[in-house]
Amino acid sequence: MVSKTDTKSQTNRERRWISHLLRRTGFGPTPSEIDRFLNTSHEDIVEKLLDFTNTTTMPDDVIFRMFPECHAGVGLAGASAKWVFRMATTTNPLEEKMALFWHGIFATGNDKLDNPVAALTQIDTLRRVSTDTFDSILLELSQDPAMLIWLDNQTNHKQSINENYGRELLELFSMGVGNYTEKDIKECARSFTGWSLNNEEYMSLRCQNGSIWPYHRIAWHYEYNSDDHDDQKKTFLGQVGNFNGEDIIRIICEQSSTAEFLSRHLYDFFVEDEEPVSVWNETPPKNPDAIKMLVNEYFNSGHSIKEMMKVLLNSDFFKESEYKKIKSPIEMVTGILKLTGEAEKPSLTTINAIEEAGYMGQLLLYPPSVEGWHAGEEWISSGSLVERVNFASSHMANITSPGTSDILDSVYESCGDSATVKDMVSATLTILGMYNVSEESINFIHESCGGETKTVDCNDMSRSSEFSSIMSDILRIIGSAKEFHLS
Amino acid sequence: MVTEYLKTIGIKTNQPVGRGFLYPYDVAFSSEGIIYALNRGNLGQRVGTRVQMFNFEEDWLGEFGEGRGTGPSNFMIPISMAFNSDDCLHITDQGAGEIKVFDSAGIPIKQIGNSKDQKINLTEPSGIAIDSEDNIYVTDQARNSVTKIDQEGSVEFTVGELGDGPGQFNMPWGLTVDSSGFIYIADWRNDRIQKLSPFGDFISSYGESGSGEGEFNRPSSVAVDSGGTIYVTDWGNERVQVLDSNGNFIQMLRGQATLSQWAEQWLDANQDELTARNRSNLKIDWLPVHLRSPYQVSAQTEHLFWGPVSAKIDKSDRLFVTEHSRARIQVYKVGK
Repeated sequence: MVSKTDTKSQTNRERRWISHLLRRTGFGPTPSEIDRFLNTSHEDIVEKLLDFTNTTTMPDDVIFRMFPECHAGVGLAGASAKWVFRMATTTNPLEEKMALFWHGIFATGNDKLDNPVAALTQIDTLRRVSTDTFDSILLELSQDPAMLIWLDNQTNHKQSINENYGRELLELFSMGVGNYTEKDIKECARSFTGWSLNNEEYMSLRCQNGSIWPYHRIAWHYEYNSDDHDDQKKTFLGQVGNFNGEDIIRIICEQSSTAEFLSRHLYDFFVEDEEPVSVWNETPPKNPDAIKMLVNEYFNSGHSIKEMMKVLLNSDFFKESEYKKIKSPIEMVTGILKLTGEAEKPSLTTINAIEEAGYMGQLLLYPPSVEGWHAGEEWISSGSLVERVNFASSHMANITSPGTSDILDSVYESCGDSATVKDMVSATLTILGMYNVSEESINFIHESCGGETKTVDCNDMSRSSEFSSIMSDILRIIGSAKEFHLS
Repeated sequence: MVTEYLKTIGIKTNQPVGRGFLYPYDVAFSSEGIIYALNRGNLGQRVGTRVQMFNFEEDWLGEFGEGRGTGPSNFMIPISMAFNSDDCLHITDQGAGEIKVFDSAGIPIKQIGNSKDQKINLTEPSGIAIDSEDNIYVTDQARNSVTKIDQEGSVEFTVGELGDGPGQFNMPWGLTVDSSGFIYIADWRNDRIQKLSPFGDFISSYGESGSGEGEFNRPSSVAVDSGGTIYVTDWGNERVQVLDSNGNFIQMLRGQATLSQWAEQWLDANQDELTARNRSNLKIDWLPVHLRSPYQVSAQTEHLFWGPVSAKIDKSDRLFVTEHSRARIQVYKVGK
């Protein structure tokens, strides 16, 4: 016979696992999302998370009506707000998380493009192919106009090659330093000659001039110029042929170094913060067995990212990685907007929040370099920590937000008419899916809210009541707790 | 054909003052024929919100408005404009929940429907029209309603609620009144135009969701010419549709912008861009499959409508289509 205590304990174990999974595959769980997955096996939840059909998000038309900047693609709003609205309201957060994963690797900066529609079109492309084979992802990337401009492939001509794209394709996008030669880079670049965009001369000049005249920016599309393609014989990674870009991608994707590099990126983003990619060639992975498991799946599945993700999310190493990652600013900010319901309608709150994420070190579509953002502990500096905690605390403490108001209702439902601060804190952490919070953090919350034994009348839920005031304090302090900033 | 392309006015700017548009949202015409263009400005960057004045020959005549804010000369989120017979310009401010009234020189006169005005409740006023007797008609996107305010400032009626039935609305936007007093409303999220009687009673509905002829994707504005022909900015389909007085499809406009005088002057001063432009083919004839939505086609193709937000007809039977994302106005002759 199963006792009530056993059932509660089992439910808490389940909620804890689901919360961990949703933090990593999305932007943090809402109470209703945790409930939705109760009584479902781990494998089935992972299947559902990776099924991107029937996704709904805040519709573009509603965003565009409020923010024509998003329609035209201008400024901070046009550059990234549309994406954040989508992240905060999607029914399939992993779809956006995958796009964010690829954005971190194929980091393309709008500071050089000066064309947010092109930058966002690249994100749309990454989202569309995010769990396809790595081959198809690299092909789409190589034909993406924002990437072509970002790494100057429009100036990679048959008569005078520009190695920039070829070099980064090998170094940062697929194989990693030490797995190819300088000759391979040149041959790679030769193979991608002629891969350009429409009206290349005019569009490049406008980009260089930062020109919005006469009638705003013109978006770009890929164009293959066969006259400018070097179709002579090439030798690449030991293979010989009259290679074009597609052949290079095929050869790259056959390499074990590519499988290892990609597996390490997935591990770094979804499991545990690794060292910056620039030192990977001299630093072994934190978990070589995990990398091996992912590499095997890469080859067994025909380079399928979706199958690799299934292996990763169902693995023991993933299940055991709770709180091993530091949330990126965008994960943290988006998670709060989602939890508080502040992004349910397009508003300046979201625009301001994106700006705040920039102060914390991550402005979407503006990576610091082609290497992307350095994550993990590098998210935390004395300045960014203050920004982070201030943002989290102030938004969490605002009990007038629709999502926060729902949390108060749930705490009341859990605690009844009268409860101690300890009960209220415990209920709040459960609702937020925050398990395994350190005693030190919990004690600090208790002390900041009048002590664990303080009794509160929960019946009066008016905004001026003691209950509301203490709940606001509890949420404020939770927002500053270490575990809140971990994933 | 009921329309003939005439010219394009405008140029993009990123400056908070001076010639050029920053998210133009609407135009209105004074009795002297001066064109007033409402610049919504950049909400995120909080700049550029103002009204500019010029004539059909593109002589720039000045501007007024002191950017974002809650003062009488400031705007939060201005949406549309209309003149009354005294040349008083009425501007809806969705963010401030009121209509701001200015004289033709831009001097603020009063505000209607703000929190201090207990007689008229507006939450997020959107479209505005004024009839020949100076009655004001305003849509409220938050209340899903249309309100008629008489010249004394009293509400004659407020009709509508959220829904998709006759007389119900879903985030209504632009509206107009024809010479007989019938009211036409762009029922934005219901993808249709609704026609109401002068008393607010439902008469008929034109269109449904889609991208075919007579179908709409988020219509933002409607205008009716002196012969009863209806012009709809089919915003989500990036086009303008022309309907007869019974709502039957007549013509589709996709846009055919040319260089305005302001644009030509800018290119004359920037020869490197003019040279590269002249060597380009800006008429896009092929796009990859994932870039074939009306939005992406317009983003790629400069002469097509991109964000056609407002249709207005002046006394000379000229249709002005304002495009917020191309920062310009395409002008067509109507009634041919």
